[in-house]
Amino acid sequence: MAAAATPHDAVRGSGAHAHIITSPDVRAGLGHRDRGGALPHMINHKIARKYARGLGGFAICIICWEVVRALHLIDPRDLPSVLVIVQTAFRELLNGSLALAALTSLLSWAPGLLIAALVGTASGISLAMFPNLEIASRPILEFLRPIPSVALIPIALLTLGVGIEMQLTMIAFASVWPIVFSVKAGVEGVDPRFHETGRILGVSKIARVRRIVIPSMLPSLATGVRTASAIALVLTITVEMLTGRPGIGRYIDEARLNGLVAEMWAAILVTGIVGYFVNGAMLTTERHLLPWSAENRDR
Amino acid sequence: MIQNTNGAILAVENISRTYSGAEMPILEGLTFQQNPGEFVAIVGPSGCGKTTLLRCCAALMQPDAGSVLHAGQKLSDPPAWLSIVFQDYNRSLFPWLSVKQNVGFGLSHVGKRERDERVAAALAAVRLDHAADLYPWQLSRGMQQRCALARSIVVRPKLLLLDEPFASVDAQTRFDLQDLVMEICREMSLSTLLVTHDMDEAVFMADKVVVLSTKPARVIEQVAIDIPYPRDQLTTKESSEFLRLRHQVYTLVRQQVRH
Amino acid sequence: MTVSPQRIRALSLQLLLLGGLLITWQWASITFPSPTMPPLQAIWQAYWRLVQGDLLHTAVLPSLYRLLVGFLIAALAGSIIGLAIGCSRVLDDWSRPVLEYLRYIPAIAILPPALLILGPTDTMRIFVIAFGCIFPVLLAAIDGARRVEPTFLETARINGLGPVARVRRVVLFAAMPSLFAGLRIALGLGLIMMVISELIAADNGIGFFILRSQRLFQSAGVYAGVLMIGTIGWLLTAGLLVLEKKALHWHRGWRGLLSE
Repeated sequence: MAAAATPHDAVRGSGAHAHIITSPDVRAGLGHRDRGGALPHMINHKIARKYARGLGGFAICIICWEVVRALHLIDPRDLPSVLVIVQTAFRELLNGSLALAALTSLLSWAPGLLIAALVGTASGISLAMFPNLEIASRPILEFLRPIPSVALIPIALLTLGVGIEMQLTMIAFASVWPIVFSVKAGVEGVDPRFHETGRILGVSKIARVRRIVIPSMLPSLATGVRTASAIALVLTITVEMLTGRPGIGRYIDEARLNGLVAEMWAAILVTGIVGYFVNGAMLTTERHLLPWSAENRDR
Repeated sequence: MIQNTNGAILAVENISRTYSGAEMPILEGLTFQQNPGEFVAIVGPSGCGKTTLLRCCAALMQPDAGSVLHAGQKLSDPPAWLSIVFQDYNRSLFPWLSVKQNVGFGLSHVGKRERDERVAAALAAVRLDHAADLYPWQLSRGMQQRCALARSIVVRPKLLLLDEPFASVDAQTRFDLQDLVMEICREMSLSTLLVTHDMDEAVFMADKVVVLSTKPARVIEQVAIDIPYPRDQLTTKESSEFLRLRHQVYTLVRQQVRH
Repeated sequence: MTVSPQRIRALSLQLLLLGGLLITWQWASITFPSPTMPPLQAIWQAYWRLVQGDLLHTAVLPSLYRLLVGFLIAALAGSIIGLAIGCSRVLDDWSRPVLEYLRYIPAIAILPPALLILGPTDTMRIFVIAFGCIFPVLLAAIDGARRVEPTFLETARINGLGPVARVRRVVLFAAMPSLFAGLRIALGLGLIMMVISELIAADNGIGFFILRSQRLFQSAGVYAGVLMIGTIGWLLTAGLLVLEKKALHWHRGWRGLLSE
């Protein structure tokens, strides 16, 4: 499942936060006592409460889980206790098998994503800069785009077999779409004044692409890659589950087939953590490489 | 519990309000009263907390200290007899409802026939009857603000609050709207509280002008406007009484700004 | 309807490219016959069987049914829960960290446990589809509810609307553009989950048909099945867009005004 991208969080306050600029004389004149000490205390209290509630949310989920077990709404053999799952996760990570599976998945995910990034960037730039190509390919792209890539796995199996090439092709094919369209939008969104500045300064067209267009569309590329990274993870795991290629997908399904229920849930738990950290890593990388982009500027 | 406020419809008693994260209160020790039927205008330097004060007067917000009494009672929610017209009609008129549906929004507890009658009457009062089935974004700015006005009077309020209602319209429309508001308030015997940065407007429309200081805002002075109604855009604004009061209010506000 | 020269040019370019690709395919499939590249007529025949032949009932309709049920469950649950969370600071604080973790679990990972607990039943497949669909809707509803203009809510309060009425009459409408965006994403995910659930453990459906064709090396069936999925996806998305246009007719005019 691609982690749905939502717009930036909107801060909801009870009203406008006023920026108060007064001179020290006025404050002294109107006789205010210094409230400096009181405020940090109030702020910490609010943040602590937010954290406590968040943890409370997790606690409630765990409680519900255990209640469902206890009431036999679901067979408790299929739903091990949370403690057992966490213990199993640690054990499997430490003895290497789960860690190896996760690593193997990532080692398919990364190159697949990289291929998608390269192909997608080239395609996106081409589509943006050659309008005839864009017009001609529009119906084909609009038709191919909504086809779920997982439906193409059987075709890939037919034509490419069961090797790593098939997996990489599937990952790349599924991931390329958000990147193509983000890059295309990024290139189209380059302020025409940048182009004009380049022309006036005597920069050749090819050099303009390299020095103006590519840097300008990097933030869009970053967003596209981040969206694609979640899709790539889904495809990686799906291919592993469907075709038995090594990785965390196969680990989960094999655990199910062998009745190792705790191991299965432990792997799912770890998959979520891996997904979370992959997204976090992308965001951090983006922030470091592109500090000047509009999204990162205010940090 | 009804407290004794000498019959005032709105009694603001020594209120203070600080926003979390701010070092300084935006309102402090603010006190004034409004009597039934009175038209009160609140003016002050830009950003001095007028809108915050209005929110407290509307019981949308509670002050940190002091009290706001509506007809002698302390309320935690806006009473049914209070109505408000916001400055930004774009963000207050519901874009998915037509003009007629917007105006009738607060009348959901009333039967359909009565609701249609009252909506028609309110639209006629603001001269928007021909636009009943249009959508707000299809109207001009002045018409949108009239729609907001119709929505606030259709519920037959006793107290009408206006938050810089004419700030977003052009000067010509502003004069028309001012006349319209004064006419409606007199016909319905409303108590009206107008927050505005336009001092001319305050002196022109009100019985009493409350002048606020800069942050933290408190009442500097309450200026009584003794000019008789009905007031005229042309003749009243040239009268010596108007000019004298205008000068007084201007001076009070300018003194604050210089700090 | 007058056809402008640009349109003619565009159409001819498109036909040129498409025609070129199809002709190349047909030529390749005849010159180098291989099980993986069937001639176009074979694909078309298989596709036609799916559209209105025997396969319509054994493959297309069961899949469609599961997809729609799962999608609707997710749409309803996701909207209601999401709007509630978006309107309540308290609920948001409690649920946010959990949701921020759960959203990063790829929906496919829920398939093995679902298979284990519910068996290879329709319930399992509908559950898997609903699980995949619910997160985009949920997140979009939360976002939409949180971004409602405060003045709308204040106006509602002034007019005496209680919290439930406010959600029903104001928040729902104000959040609708965001909700529809989430529904569009959810539809795509639902399609994916439908296919996956049928590739792994099914005895009917389009995915199952594709898998069986692949195992029997009937590649025409494979391609036709994929085309059918694309068709369904396209039709459902178009349907959703029509619905969205009707429900949000007021939005475009208002948005234009806001930028003034």
